[in-house]
Amino acid sequence: MRAASIVVLIAIVLPFVLGQFWAYQLGLYALYAAAAIGVGLCWGQAGFLPLGQALFFGLAAYLSGLAFIAFADMPIIAVVLVPLAALASGLLAYAIGFVVFRRSGESGAYFSMITLALALLAFQIATSWNSVTGGFNGLKGIPGLPGLDDISDVYYVSAAILLAILALAGWLYAAPIGVLWRALAQNERRLKLFGFDTDQLKAVAFGAAGFMAGIGGAIYAPQQGIVTPQVVGFGLSAELVIWAAVGGRASLFGPVIGTLLVGSLTAQLRDTLPFWEVLMALFFIAIVLVFPSGVAGLPEPLLRRFARERPSKASIVAPGDPAARPPVTLALDGVSVRVGEVTILDRLSVDFDQAGIFCVIGPNGAGKTSMFNVVSGELAAASGAIGLGGATIAGLPPNRVSGLGVARKLQIPSVFPDLSIADNLAIALWSGRASKLALLDPRLRRWTSPMLKELQARYAFLASGARKAAELSHGEQQILELAMALLTEPRVLLLDEPCAGLSPEETAAVMEIVRWAAARLGGAIIIIEHDMSLVKELAQVVYVLHNGALLAKGSVAAIQADPAVRAVYVGGEK
Amino acid sequence: MSASRLVFENVTGGYGSTTIVRNLSGAAIAGEALCVLGRNGVGKSTLMKLLLGYLPCWNGRVLLDGEPIDGLDPSARHRAGLSYCPQERPVFDDLSVRDNLTLMRPSRRLTPFRRYFDRFPILERRLSQHAGTLSGGEKKMLSFVRGLAEDQPVVLLDEPSEGVQWENILHMEALIAEKKTAGTAFIVVEQNLAFAERIADRYLVMDQGRIMLEGPRSQIDRSHVLAHLHV
Amino acid sequence: MDPLIVTQAINVLYGVSTLAVLALGLAVIFGLLGVLNIAHGEFVMIGAYCAYLTQAGGWPYLAAVPFTLAVCAILGVAVEWIMIRPLYRRPFDTLVATWGLSLLLRKIAEAMFGLGFRSVSIPLPGTVRLLGTEYPIYRLLLIAISLAVVAALAVWYGRSRTGSRIRAMVSNPELAQEQGISVRRLAAGTFVVGTCLAGLGGVMVAPLVPVQPFMGLDYVLKTFFVLIVGGLGSVAGLLSGAVAIGGVDSVISAATNAANGYFAVLGLAILFLWLRPRGIVARG
Repeated sequence: MRAASIVVLIAIVLPFVLGQFWAYQLGLYALYAAAAIGVGLCWGQAGFLPLGQALFFGLAAYLSGLAFIAFADMPIIAVVLVPLAALASGLLAYAIGFVVFRRSGESGAYFSMITLALALLAFQIATSWNSVTGGFNGLKGIPGLPGLDDISDVYYVSAAILLAILALAGWLYAAPIGVLWRALAQNERRLKLFGFDTDQLKAVAFGAAGFMAGIGGAIYAPQQGIVTPQVVGFGLSAELVIWAAVGGRASLFGPVIGTLLVGSLTAQLRDTLPFWEVLMALFFIAIVLVFPSGVAGLPEPLLRRFARERPSKASIVAPGDPAARPPVTLALDGVSVRVGEVTILDRLSVDFDQAGIFCVIGPNGAGKTSMFNVVSGELAAASGAIGLGGATIAGLPPNRVSGLGVARKLQIPSVFPDLSIADNLAIALWSGRASKLALLDPRLRRWTSPMLKELQARYAFLASGARKAAELSHGEQQILELAMALLTEPRVLLLDEPCAGLSPEETAAVMEIVRWAAARLGGAIIIIEHDMSLVKELAQVVYVLHNGALLAKGSVAAIQADPAVRAVYVGGEK
Repeated sequence: MSASRLVFENVTGGYGSTTIVRNLSGAAIAGEALCVLGRNGVGKSTLMKLLLGYLPCWNGRVLLDGEPIDGLDPSARHRAGLSYCPQERPVFDDLSVRDNLTLMRPSRRLTPFRRYFDRFPILERRLSQHAGTLSGGEKKMLSFVRGLAEDQPVVLLDEPSEGVQWENILHMEALIAEKKTAGTAFIVVEQNLAFAERIADRYLVMDQGRIMLEGPRSQIDRSHVLAHLHV
Repeated sequence: MDPLIVTQAINVLYGVSTLAVLALGLAVIFGLLGVLNIAHGEFVMIGAYCAYLTQAGGWPYLAAVPFTLAVCAILGVAVEWIMIRPLYRRPFDTLVATWGLSLLLRKIAEAMFGLGFRSVSIPLPGTVRLLGTEYPIYRLLLIAISLAVVAALAVWYGRSRTGSRIRAMVSNPELAQEQGISVRRLAAGTFVVGTCLAGLGGVMVAPLVPVQPFMGLDYVLKTFFVLIVGGLGSVAGLLSGAVAIGGVDSVISAATNAANGYFAVLGLAILFLWLRPRGIVARG
């Protein structure tokens, strides 16, 4: 709150300090800064790069300009239409994001190229559609905002808009959705396995960014009095990316600093220093390669020294009880998976028909992890059925399978390294419990649950919430990921070599949690393991896979006596 | 006393922050085959990756003819005298069988492969086919021939018999024996004990990333080996 | 035959073949190495400006070829070393870095030549009578050269030693390393081949397009879409993509206007993204 009041104070005082000329400049650049914040949201938070953001700025500018021209006698109507113009930009952005992210997999390249193409297309349309946009010379004679004559009035409107956008962005970054965006940028696969629709999250981010750019553009039209195709094209789009990067794309104020500093400097120096723009480009490359936190990252070591421990607020017990769901059985029936010419699963039929702890073993390439991948929806089955308590789950995407109560712990410890331990655990709590609208409520970050308290009692490090997950040792990260999987209170828990690389003490600890979880959750825990001593300790039933099919099933003793299993492990004459 | 060509001393390594193998020591001796045995998941392939330079040794070192090679990447180790036939993805699927065999040879002539084709005629029949169309066992045979034909002092084989029919496994045994007589040193990772018994001079049995049994084959009891191989 | 139809048909053929040769550089870098070099269009721009300088210096047009190859090769080596090699496993960071590179190259061109259009005069002016219509010689020459270059590269890639080694490296880099191929050096060389091909494309089209610092944007997008629609990693993919994108663009632009042509190309690309993301000729 303190920081916010300082910023507001500076904003109010600035025109008196800097004079009319700079007030005007800043008034203009504040609108660009609103769009740059959107770029920071997409790139610095959610991890994808929009290369054509001016499209949304310019679209709203044209719409707003047309409105002000059409309603020149009743400007109040045009003012009402301003937020609608911004909304149009936001909705268009959401729609584009939705269409592109659903299909582009995790490749950010397709998205970036398509946004670039759209900006160029918009520029072409703006230049050629003379009747509506005024063509190359632009939409002229746009009346100003009613009641504002002074340059400083214009400045205050822009500053107010910018502060409002900053407040919006600040709220989103602090809310659960901001945490999810950052998690998405760090480990998208893991987030999907927690039941979150990452494609939609990205589309929402893009929509919000489009809206922010739209607000800037909608005010730009009456303020500048003219809208030309430059405002919708590639040049401004590129500058927004540069300003966000140089200022510090991941921070809240970074893009603003970048726009106000670099943007206005460039406007001044562009004509006097011919190589200024070349220098800026080199600077951008240097920032991207070497110093990604930008200008806003400079005071960070200083701030860290003076950072005080904020008193922690009281935690809130998470609503809902996923464990209230009835236990289920998992069954695969004739599941085949082929990748190219290779058959990975060959009419695999496995039935985990009770609660308890089961182990899956088998030689390399037997298909154990692939079986997990096909259950969790990450691998498509060419044929066969997969049932969870009677409901078929084959063909469902990973986030839907997770929503039905299937949790997974991956082979390599897979947490969100740059998020705090508290945020990591909170994501697990939100999984399956938080409605989409609730993700906008910052209070959700204080959620806890009885199960979390029990886990924190066992493992103290889970309670030191402020530490980054990357600071934990390998064994602690394994336990953190296991805890996160357990917090979703799953009906089926898939563990892939949970003890890999752990010391004997850590291994014993994991085994203890697994037994505790089996009793507490009452569901099925299926473990892929190579270490036979662990299998002997934990497994009620052992399943042996070989060449993508089930070779044998039974107690540990039965498996050990089975000659077919022996042949697979020891080999022999054919 | 035959010379040790490839020696590894106390090597420890793994992936990311996970330690897979600890304190492994052994040697490939000219004219002999060292068989590394163990169930899957015990770290046999990790050991191979450490010897070849795909993974860094967190501890210990690897020596080739007395010189440490820890700083060399896999292509440099190959040029220094190591040949490798991997367990997974053993051939270039997109290249023809002929191209797979001659990719790094000075010429495309196939005369050096005569004695291999005599034992594995199917490879000669499929010379112009894409290697991706071969069966798993045929790919293994192709990889095996390519590796041995490189005529290098040290050859590392990772589960060469996987998917291969017994009669061809016997051919592999014969070819390995010929090479041993010529002085080649072998390290062979295997899960198939029957094959290992036919080619091994020394055993190195692994479990949980460590050495459990080690020594000349004649001095190790078969039942002890079985105990570590079987579940 | 109606001379108008013949002209239009040859125009489409021209559009497709030049698109194919311009896409070659990106096909090598993105299709084989998996690196999206957003600065690809700027290397084409470099080729065009080299052609301009060659002509301005009074040299014969063909001298632009070694000039461009030298510039693009040196630049390619530097770029690969500074920003491609360290970022191989981070495709997003590579995207951002090459975008920065494209910005830098554009700004340098702007500082050296200004924002205005430069024109390069056609080295082989005049028309020739063909199938009942007069058609510019240089365009016909370009069609021939484009198809020849694509064919030559395809043959070299499929048959030569180095081509086999590149194919090996692309399909199984670990095994390639194991057999003694220095993947780092081969990948660097492949990248440089890609940038040089882009520059050559620029030399070829320079007399027929306005040469200005922003000319590369159009090319990088269109060639990217060629690869999306056609499929990565094969010559068949490159050609089918060029036919699809080039064909649609030429036909619709001629029938209506350039903006509609662009719209159609974008629409086609998004359609393929939704229905057939691996492209017409999906590899492996």
